[in-house]
Amino acid sequence: MTRNPAQPAPITGRLITVLLLWCLLGVAASAERPQRVVSINLCGDQLLLMLADPEQVASVSNLAVEPLSSFVAEQAERFPMNHARAEELIALRPDLVLATAHDSPRLLSTLETLGYRVERLPPADDLPGIVASIRRVAGLLDQDERGETMIRRLRRRLHDSDQTPLAARPTALFYQPRGYTSGRHTLQDQALRLAGWRNLAAEQGIEGYAPVDMEHLLRWQPQQLFTSIYDGSGDSLAERQLLHPALRRLTTGRPLQPVPYRYWICPGPMLADAVALLREARSRLPAAPEPNQ
Amino acid sequence: MNPALTQRQLNLLLGALLLLAAGLSLLTGSEAIPLLQALRESLAERPGVAGLILTELRLPRTAVALIAGASLGLCGALMQSLLRNPLASPGLIGSANGAALGAVVCLYFGLAGAAAFILPLGGMLGALLATFTVYLLAGRDSGSLTLILAGVAVNAFTLALVSLLLNLAPSPYAVQEIALWMLGSLANLSRNELWLLLPGSLLGWLLAWRQGRALDLLGLGEETALSMGVDLTNLRRRLFLAVALAVGSAVAVTGAIGFIGLVVPHLLRPLVGHQPSRLLLPSALGGALLLICADIAVRLLPAQTEIKVGVLTALIGAPFFVWLIVRNRGRSL
Repeated sequence: MTRNPAQPAPITGRLITVLLLWCLLGVAASAERPQRVVSINLCGDQLLLMLADPEQVASVSNLAVEPLSSFVAEQAERFPMNHARAEELIALRPDLVLATAHDSPRLLSTLETLGYRVERLPPADDLPGIVASIRRVAGLLDQDERGETMIRRLRRRLHDSDQTPLAARPTALFYQPRGYTSGRHTLQDQALRLAGWRNLAAEQGIEGYAPVDMEHLLRWQPQQLFTSIYDGSGDSLAERQLLHPALRRLTTGRPLQPVPYRYWICPGPMLADAVALLREARSRLPAAPEPNQ
Repeated sequence: MNPALTQRQLNLLLGALLLLAAGLSLLTGSEAIPLLQALRESLAERPGVAGLILTELRLPRTAVALIAGASLGLCGALMQSLLRNPLASPGLIGSANGAALGAVVCLYFGLAGAAAFILPLGGMLGALLATFTVYLLAGRDSGSLTLILAGVAVNAFTLALVSLLLNLAPSPYAVQEIALWMLGSLANLSRNELWLLLPGSLLGWLLAWRQGRALDLLGLGEETALSMGVDLTNLRRRLFLAVALAVGSAVAVTGAIGFIGLVVPHLLRPLVGHQPSRLLLPSALGGALLLICADIAVRLLPAQTEIKVGVLTALIGAPFFVWLIVRNRGRSL
């Protein structure tokens, strides 16, 4: 048995070179357009499914299929679901993991230590933030064109021809179960302003999402109250608080206007739908309401 | 009997203090409202803000505090006399937590939505069941230790069930309301809740009406009471029901507010010469007074969300309880 030990070496060497080149090309291609994107957060899920080619999506989080939370529940059904657990994520072999600042830092650092690419989407509470979010995800997915189209469409839908001066606009306030309201730097505040309302909670200096005393609320006298019950299926003291007779008397019998909760979970193009709802409520407001006092 | 204060004077004094506290309670809140203007406004056809705050927020809140506090104080006195045990308060023998359990079952699983009266009814059934269980476990005329142990067992079990049920409830808000049921709160009550509270409380008070003499005789021993013509079975049945009605409807509306039923009868007992019949009315007045004062205090405390009133009654009540133990150390309670 004779074998020329020198013979196979060049072949192996060429093979390795080819393999290396192929890998490099592959890496270069994946850097351009990720092909196995895993999102572990509803906010990532929604923008991912709205912007990516279906072939790019490897998995979405379990909340994506909840119709009460998600705007892409139907599409999300077609993809594998994850629960943001390290093991199942690794098994998915992602080339990009979409997360947010709210996800477990330990999980994200574990994934990064193992060499996975994790991108954290920043939170956004206003229109510029939403635009930046869309642009960021579109860029990560190498779908910039779709991102810009989405942004143009969002801006067009939000365009307001109404020139009513601020002081003449009707006043409103979000009153949520457990007596919480949305002050400055919330999506609700942004939506109210875009829809031509004055958000009294923001004007009274409330920052973010905070409880509001009912006595204050009565003193501020909003013309319209909005509420977003997460899930109307059960009874609770928190939800019963919305039935307080004082609230109804405050708005002279007009009930709290429900706005689905899912508009406020994540920044995204759904803001336009929320603003449309709030504008419609404004058009239904009785003309020239007399002040209460 | 304290010679400095007759029964009548004590009741008048407590009544006057209660009126004063109720008035203060109407003036306490996050908004300063001129009372006279508020009164005028509330009579107008379309009340202004001050009128609205007074009639829709502070009045129901004060009234609920008054009725619930009176029920807790009265029931503490009733149970302590009936079981001849100074520790038999609604909180310790399980009726408060039992009521919370009954109310939680009705509220979070869709029963209370069917008809308004189901919520207090659930509270009453829960209170009755828990009290009766403790009574059966501890046995009639039991010592303090047995009663406390039975109470601890039943309280732990009902609290665990409340917590479990709130975790399983379909409403996403239920889990956050555990603290409310365990500590009690009077925040944002409306007249809807007042109407839920009123019938059961009045019925309970009515059942306890004129039972003082029988309790006095029972205090002398069961044999003595029997020989004096007291129908003990009937008395027990009647007072258990009274406590369940009053505590059940109070807890269904406010959650389990602790220590009032324990502390108030204890504080007042020396002032009425340790006579059960004389303890009932002052205990009711004192309970209402204490709860209204605690509720004023939680509204004055600076906090982003209101402190639960049960936190405050426990902060006052627990040191008192310790003092009670220390004072009675060595001799049986």
